Amino acid sequence: MWAVIKKELKYYFCTPIGYVFIGVFLMAFSVSFYFTVIGYGNVNYEYIFYSTPTIFVLAFLIPLLTMRSFSEERKNGTEQLLLTSPLSITKIVLGKFIAALIVAIITEICTLMYFAILCHYGMPQIPTALVTLLGFLLFVTTYISFGMLASSITENQIIAAIISIAFFIITWVVPDFNSNLEGISFINMLYKYTNGQIDIADTVTFITFSIMCILLTIVVMQRRKSVK
Amino acid sequence: MDYYGPNGAGKSTTMNMITGYIEPTSGKIIIDNIDIDRRPKKAKKEIGYMPEGVPLYTDLTVKEFVTYMAEIKKVDRKTRKEKVEKIIEQTGLKDVEKKLIKKLSRGYKQRVSMAGALVGEPKILILDEPTVGLDPKQITEIRNLIKELGKTHTIILSSHILSEVSQVCNRVIIINKGKIVAIDTPENLENKVAGSNIIYITIEDPENKIENIKEKIEGIKKITLMQENEDKTKQYSIEADENIDLRKMLFTELAKENITIFEMKKADVTLEDAFMKLIEGGDK
Repeated sequence: MWAVIKKELKYYFCTPIGYVFIGVFLMAFSVSFYFTVIGYGNVNYEYIFYSTPTIFVLAFLIPLLTMRSFSEERKNGTEQLLLTSPLSITKIVLGKFIAALIVAIITEICTLMYFAILCHYGMPQIPTALVTLLGFLLFVTTYISFGMLASSITENQIIAAIISIAFFIITWVVPDFNSNLEGISFINMLYKYTNGQIDIADTVTFITFSIMCILLTIVVMQRRKSVK
Repeated sequence: MDYYGPNGAGKSTTMNMITGYIEPTSGKIIIDNIDIDRRPKKAKKEIGYMPEGVPLYTDLTVKEFVTYMAEIKKVDRKTRKEKVEKIIEQTGLKDVEKKLIKKLSRGYKQRVSMAGALVGEPKILILDEPTVGLDPKQITEIRNLIKELGKTHTIILSSHILSEVSQVCNRVIIINKGKIVAIDTPENLENKVAGSNIIYITIEDPENKIENIKEKIEGIKKITLMQENEDKTKQYSIEADENIDLRKMLFTELAKENITIFEMKKADVTLEDAFMKLIEGGDK
């Protein structure tokens, strides 16, 4: 599995994808930081994760990270190399998932520089910030796992990206119009973390949804062996 | 061993099943007494696969790719570096090991793919159309490499080029519409299809004495006039019993009859003829 993680990370950082992901996210984060901290004088690190620019860019950045995971392998035929190797499909899927997650974690670590700036000028809440970081990681994990699933069902990267973006926007916007659908609003769940509260139900929802998507990806890959 | 068959015969599908890329709808794949369905990891370790179309991670360098293949094939970490070096040497990639795969020519890409298949010291190498898209020089190089590897590995390859099969393989499986039509050595397949023993001769025979030799040489079944040429020579086909080489006797007897020989040749049956006959037979 480590071989797959290493190769995927090499791909992310030997091509612009990893840098675009981190760079664009930090740019959006900076805009939010400017308006929240400089504009309103609010020493609130947590709110930046929940702000519209940050969430908006994530809708496009996460698919950028995940869209090629399986679809490109299938299109180029390199999945033959993977699936005929002694590696199990579970390890291949987990390897790709963990590599994407590492990029997200690196991005989160980069945001700590904003926290350091706030620490210099004020007294931000460290426990709340840590809970927010955990919540944001779970939030991103959920969409990464869904993006992987979308990538496994098509060999067209663009279609995989569109499915992921559509899912992100549906779970973001739809609950605002229909209160019955609040249960699928991952953003509302993230909001609770930014207030420093770890909601067990929300945590379980994030984790189980991610596990479900990973398992479905494994099933899709396994199934493809018998339906070619 | 070679898999040969027309397009859509099921060559690549068979290879994909052997390598565990797709599952067979029925039956079992047993590799060195290991059922690939039950113990896929162990069975896959015994196989090196070079897929059709040479799929490669083109953003990696040659060395990175071979190392990656060694990692996913779980080559022991202690000996990995040394084994990667050895395979790079063996496949003639030393000069380009630091180059990105996307910058390489088709011939080199083919070698890189073969290097990937060789990683992990598999007992069986499966090569799907290994010379497709190569120029004649590259084809010769790859064939030589296959011949060299054939000394230490069992090689199963699929090919559309029959001359390649005759040169490289010592067993051929001809398949058509998913079914095996024949399994044998290339020579035996040619002999089987050859059937009767035919000699073609072009002679000058103004007195039409050719029919006389039928009585003089035992085993001649039939003499057929094929063509009368403008220079008054005639072309005949002489069919004889199997296992008789007529050429020496014909030369002597025709001379005695004052018949001048312009040309004499034994009818060659190539693997191509064998293939066509077997496929046509199967279709009927």
